[in-house]
Amino acid sequence: MGIAHSIQSISFLSDFSQSVLAYPIVLSTHLTCIALFGGMILATDLRLLGLSLKSLTVTEVVTSLRPWKRLGGTIMISMGLLLASSKAEEYAANPIFWTKMIILGLIGVHALIFRPIVYNKTEELDRSPVMPARAKAAAILSLVLWTAMFTMGRLIAYWD
Amino acid sequence: MLVQNAIADTLNNAEWTFALAECLHIGGFAVGIGSIALVDLRMLNLGLRKETAARILKYTEPWTMVALVFVVFSGLMLFLAQPEIYLQRAPYVLNERFMFLLKMSLLATAVLYNFTVHRRVAKMDNPPPALSKLVAAVSLVLWVSIVFGGIFIGFLQ
Repeated sequence: MGIAHSIQSISFLSDFSQSVLAYPIVLSTHLTCIALFGGMILATDLRLLGLSLKSLTVTEVVTSLRPWKRLGGTIMISMGLLLASSKAEEYAANPIFWTKMIILGLIGVHALIFRPIVYNKTEELDRSPVMPARAKAAAILSLVLWTAMFTMGRLIAYWD
Repeated sequence: MLVQNAIADTLNNAEWTFALAECLHIGGFAVGIGSIALVDLRMLNLGLRKETAARILKYTEPWTMVALVFVVFSGLMLFLAQPEIYLQRAPYVLNERFMFLLKMSLLATAVLYNFTVHRRVAKMDNPPPALSKLVAAVSLVLWVSIVFGGIFIGFLQ
């Protein structure tokens, strides 16, 4: 608990967690990113599954949404980091928070596995007459992981 | 208590039901607002440019509708768990009640706007670019302000 206590005692972070305005603004920004980013993830996944946006190529959906997903992801993670570190002691003792971090790690693994064979090979997917199983697997796993991610995020507050 | 009902009892006594309603609410608004934001992104000419806004709207509208149903029902459950804080607190003071009423007004405005102005402009064949952009920007501001309103309800007393 030593490290967690030192982190949340950094005066900037303890001021932040006590603040009436800054804390809810950062939390709202975190959730706004979930909404904006969530729609883009859903769009990509449903396109890979061939369930929607069928008149657009996979390449168009993946590449035109990529910069926005990166921006959204960066803001989301920065805000999340601020929220968690301002209550580091509470979070470090919370198994739901660590479950969420494991899911975040799995999302990283998902990217490492599927980026080279799906997301960076979209032209190949567009040429293929049927969507390959690896693309569908990437989409389904992405939906499962992101659902688990926001669910754990909300449940953090319920652990005591 | 203002309302004594089976839903409030279940929500207050079984710990997981309130949490479940909150998760459905978050998942619902993520899909609902996210799907509208895809149309806005296209109207702002910032993504999915190889398809028209009208077509993107056609694709995403079913997700928006399903998500809206989830958000409203889960929201109603959250409301019914403690209706007194939203209805009985002092009026005209910056408290939970005030923020709740503000959020509901914004929601009513956003839903009305979405199915009238936003929809009509998204479906136009050749809308003036400035009009498209303005309509999309207003849509994003409205929906984001509702997310902020929802969070602020929980931080006021």
